[in-house]
Amino acid sequence: MGRRYGTFTGGIDLPDEKDATLGRPIVTCPPIARLRVPLAPCGGAPAESLVAPGQRVRAGQKIARAADASGVDIFAPLDGTVASLTTAATAGRYGLVVSSAIELTDLAAPQRLQSIEQNFEWSGADTVLLRMRIAEGGLTVHRRGCEPLEGWIARGRTKGVGALIANLMESQPFVTADHQLMVEHGLGVVHGLALLARAMEVSRVFLAADQRRTEDYRRALAPARMHQIQTVALPAKYPIGADAILTKILTRRETPPGGEPMDVGAAVVDAATCLAAYRWVACGDPPIGRVVTLSGQRVRKPDNIFVPFGVSCVELVGDAEPPVVHGGPMTGLRCTDDVVVSPSTDAVLALEAVVPPVPGPCIRCGWCTDHCPARLNVSALNDAFELWHIPRAAGQGVRACVDCGVCSYVCPACLPLSQRMKQLKREVGRRAAMPGSEASV
Amino acid sequence: MSDSMEQSCSSASEAARNAPSVPVDAVATKRFPAFEAPFLRAPEAARTIFLTITAAACAPLIAGILFFGWRAAYVAAISVASCVVVERLYFRATRTPAMLGRSHAFLTGVLLALTLPAFVPWYVPMVASVFAIVIGKAVFGGVGHFLWTPALVGRLAVAVLFPATMTPDAWPMLAQEKMLVGDVVRACTTEDYRGWSGRPAPAGADAFKLTPPTKVLSLLTRPVTAPEGTPESKAEFSALAYPPAWSSQASPVLLRAPPPNRLPPINDLLYGARPGAIGETCAIVIVVAGLYLVYRSYIRWQLPMAFVLSAAIVAAIAPIRLAGPNATSQTVWWPVLIEGLDVGFVYVNYQLLGGELMLAAVFLATEMTSRPVTAGGQIIFGAGCGVLTMLLQLYTAVPVPAFMAVLAMNTLTPSIDLLWRPRVLGRPRLAFLRGRRWMIAAASRYKPPSPQQRRRSI
Repeated sequence: MGRRYGTFTGGIDLPDEKDATLGRPIVTCPPIARLRVPLAPCGGAPAESLVAPGQRVRAGQKIARAADASGVDIFAPLDGTVASLTTAATAGRYGLVVSSAIELTDLAAPQRLQSIEQNFEWSGADTVLLRMRIAEGGLTVHRRGCEPLEGWIARGRTKGVGALIANLMESQPFVTADHQLMVEHGLGVVHGLALLARAMEVSRVFLAADQRRTEDYRRALAPARMHQIQTVALPAKYPIGADAILTKILTRRETPPGGEPMDVGAAVVDAATCLAAYRWVACGDPPIGRVVTLSGQRVRKPDNIFVPFGVSCVELVGDAEPPVVHGGPMTGLRCTDDVVVSPSTDAVLALEAVVPPVPGPCIRCGWCTDHCPARLNVSALNDAFELWHIPRAAGQGVRACVDCGVCSYVCPACLPLSQRMKQLKREVGRRAAMPGSEASV
Repeated sequence: MSDSMEQSCSSASEAARNAPSVPVDAVATKRFPAFEAPFLRAPEAARTIFLTITAAACAPLIAGILFFGWRAAYVAAISVASCVVVERLYFRATRTPAMLGRSHAFLTGVLLALTLPAFVPWYVPMVASVFAIVIGKAVFGGVGHFLWTPALVGRLAVAVLFPATMTPDAWPMLAQEKMLVGDVVRACTTEDYRGWSGRPAPAGADAFKLTPPTKVLSLLTRPVTAPEGTPESKAEFSALAYPPAWSSQASPVLLRAPPPNRLPPINDLLYGARPGAIGETCAIVIVVAGLYLVYRSYIRWQLPMAFVLSAAIVAAIAPIRLAGPNATSQTVWWPVLIEGLDVGFVYVNYQLLGGELMLAAVFLATEMTSRPVTAGGQIIFGAGCGVLTMLLQLYTAVPVPAFMAVLAMNTLTPSIDLLWRPRVLGRPRLAFLRGRRWMIAAASRYKPPSPQQRRRSI
C-alpha cells in the first residue's frame, strides 16, 4: 500500500468496542416467523406488488416492480406465503421512513451466504450491458439514505466522476459487518468494485481500509491489483469513514457545503454494495439479504449474521430491552418495533441503557469546534440555533457538516449538538432551495 | 408594536422548526426526546472540568499559603465560601438554571483568592465575591453566558473600592523560617534585604515589607517626579546592570540598586518568594499546573504561550528611560539589546515574573466562557492580552495591569470569534468575508412581511 496520504483536522479516537464480533464468521440467521419486506427501501414511491395474499413465493422471486426511477424491484428473501400488505420503517437519510411492505409468513429456514459460481463474464462485457444488468437486479447502495444503484451510476456518469472509492473504514465502534464480508468474501467485494468501476467508467479506483485490518484482507488484494484498484490503508480516526472526509484524503478535493462527493468527481461505495452487485451481475443471485453486525453490551450472543431483508430489528436482538439502535452508535437511529432490516442496515445494536443526559448551558469549552472534521465553529452554530438565526448559520457554513456526531459525543454540557446541526442544515437547505434566494451558502 | 413583531417572529420560527421536510417517525422522537444519536458519550462533564481546573488552581494557592502564611488560607476560605453562598442565594431568589452549578462558584472563589493579596481584611474577599458572582456572572445569565471573567470582575471591584488597602507602597512577605505559620500582617521594613533565602525575619515581626518588583521596574518607564516641583521628572537609573562609562561606580544601576529600589534575585521570582497576591508569585507552580491543564486539554497551549511571548516581545522592544550624562535623561528602545542579550534577557524575565502576568496567562485568560473558541482566535486574544498587559505595566499606573488587560480583551472576545473563523471544509479561503457580503445583500433585499402574511404566520 505504497503512497502516503494525509489526514484531516479534527476527529477523535473513539473506543473501538469491536472485540465482540471482530473475526467472528458470518452465521446464518435463526429461523424467523415473518418478514415485512419494505417496498420502498430508498424512500420515494413504493414498488408495485406483483403478488396476491395467500400466494406462495420462492426465494429470489420478483414480488414487486419499481414504480419509478426512485424505486427498485423487490425480490422475495425467503420461500414463504404472502400474508398481507402492511407497513414497515426503514432508515432514511434524516430518520426513520415508514413505507408499505409485503408481509411473508410460513417461511423456510434462512440460507447461508455461500460463494457461488460465476456464470457471466463481466470483465469483458460491454459497459451498457453491465448497466442494464445492474438495473434489472433491484440493487441499491447499501448505506443510510440508500438509492437505486442504477440511478447512482447514472448520476455519477452525468457528473463526470473520475474516482470510485470503496469505503471499508468502518470507523464507528461495534460495527464489523463490512470487515467480515471482506475477510470471507473479499474476492467478491473486489470483483464487485471492479465491476462498478467498469459500469461507471471511472479512471481511478481506490479501496480504503483500516490500517489495523489490512493483514486480514491479504487474500483479496492480489486480484485488486489485477483490476488496477489502488489499495490504501488509513488510520482509524473517527470519522474518517465519512464520505466527504475520505474523498478529501484520497483525492484532495473538498466536497462543497451542501453537496456530495460526486460534485468533485468522486463516488463512494461500501463493501456490501460491491458484493451485492457482483453476486447479481456475475452469478445471477438477486439481493435478498445482507450481513448485519448484531452487537452491544446487552446482546447475549454478538455475531455477524446474514439476515434476509424484512426481519424486524427488535426481534433480531431477541429479548434485550430497548433501546435498540439501527446502524452504528454514532449516527444510528433508535429502533421502533416497525423497523426492519433493509439494505442500509449495517448493524443492529442493543447498547447499555444510558440515562438521557440533561443538557446544561454551553460553557464554550470549544471541544466541538476542535474535533469537528468539517472545521465548523459548532459553538457559534449552537448560538445560531438557539436564536434560530438561519442566515448566520448559513454564513458559518453549517451545510458542510458531515453528520458524524462527534460534537455531541464530546460535549461536556451534554447538548444534542449534532441534532441541532442537522436541523439547521435542513433549514438552510430548504431556504436555499426556495426561489429568489442566493445559493451561495 | 414590538410585542406583536416578536410574537410573529417566534411563531414563524417555531413553525419552521416544527415542519419536517421528510417523514420522521413522530412516536420515536416523542417517546425518547433526549435519546438520539450518538448513543455514546465521552465521560467528561462540565462539572469535572470545573473541579479539575479548581484542583489545578489549588497548586498556586498552596504555594501562596506557604509564602504568605495562614492569612492566605483565611482569605481563600472566605472567598470560596462567600462565592458559593452568594450563588446559592441568587439561585434561591431567581431560579436562574445556569446559576445552579456549585462547581463553577467554587472555581470562581479559588481563582478570586489567587488574585487577592493575603494581608487584606475579611470584608475584601467577601465584597469581591459578591461582585464576581452577581455582576460578573449572574447578570449575564450564569455559567456559560458571562462576558468578563467573574473572578477578575471581583478583583477590579475591590481595586476600585479599596484602593488604599489593595495597593500599598510596600507589600509584606513571610521570612523563610516563618513560612506557613507566620502572620503576614506583622511586617516591618528592612534596609538591607538582598534575597529571601536564608534571611532571618526582622526582630519582632514575621514578614518583610518590600516594594513589589513591578513597582521598582516602573521607575524605568514612569520616573517619580522630583518633589521640589521641578517640571522635568528625574531619571532614576543610569543603566540596567552595568554602570555606563561616563558615570562613577556609585551611580544607580537597576538590577543591583540599593534598597528599597533593589529587585529580589531572579530565582526568588521563579519560586515565588516575592511580594504579591496569593497565587501570582510562584511562577514554577503556575507553569506546572498550566501544563497539567494543557495535558487534560482544558486549556490550549496557544493562549498562554501567545500571552507570554507577546508580553516578552513588547518588554524587549518598548522604550525605557535611562539617565544620561549631565543629569539628562534619554529614551532608549530595544532595552533587551542595550547592554547585551544576557542582561536584556534577565530584564525581560523580571518584567514577566514581577507582576501577575503568569497567573493571568495560565488561569484567568483561559477561563472557558470568556475567551475565543478557536485556536486562531485564542492566539489573537492572548497576543492582545500580552501587549496590553505590558503597555499598561510599563507606562500607566493601573493597579493590576494583566488583569485589566484580560478584562479588556474579554470585551473583544465576541468580535474575535466573529472575525477569526477557520476555513470550513469545501469552502475557499476567507469565504466568510464573501458570506458576510451575501448577508448584507440579503438584508438589503429584505422586505418586511405584509400584514396579511403576518396574520397568516400567527
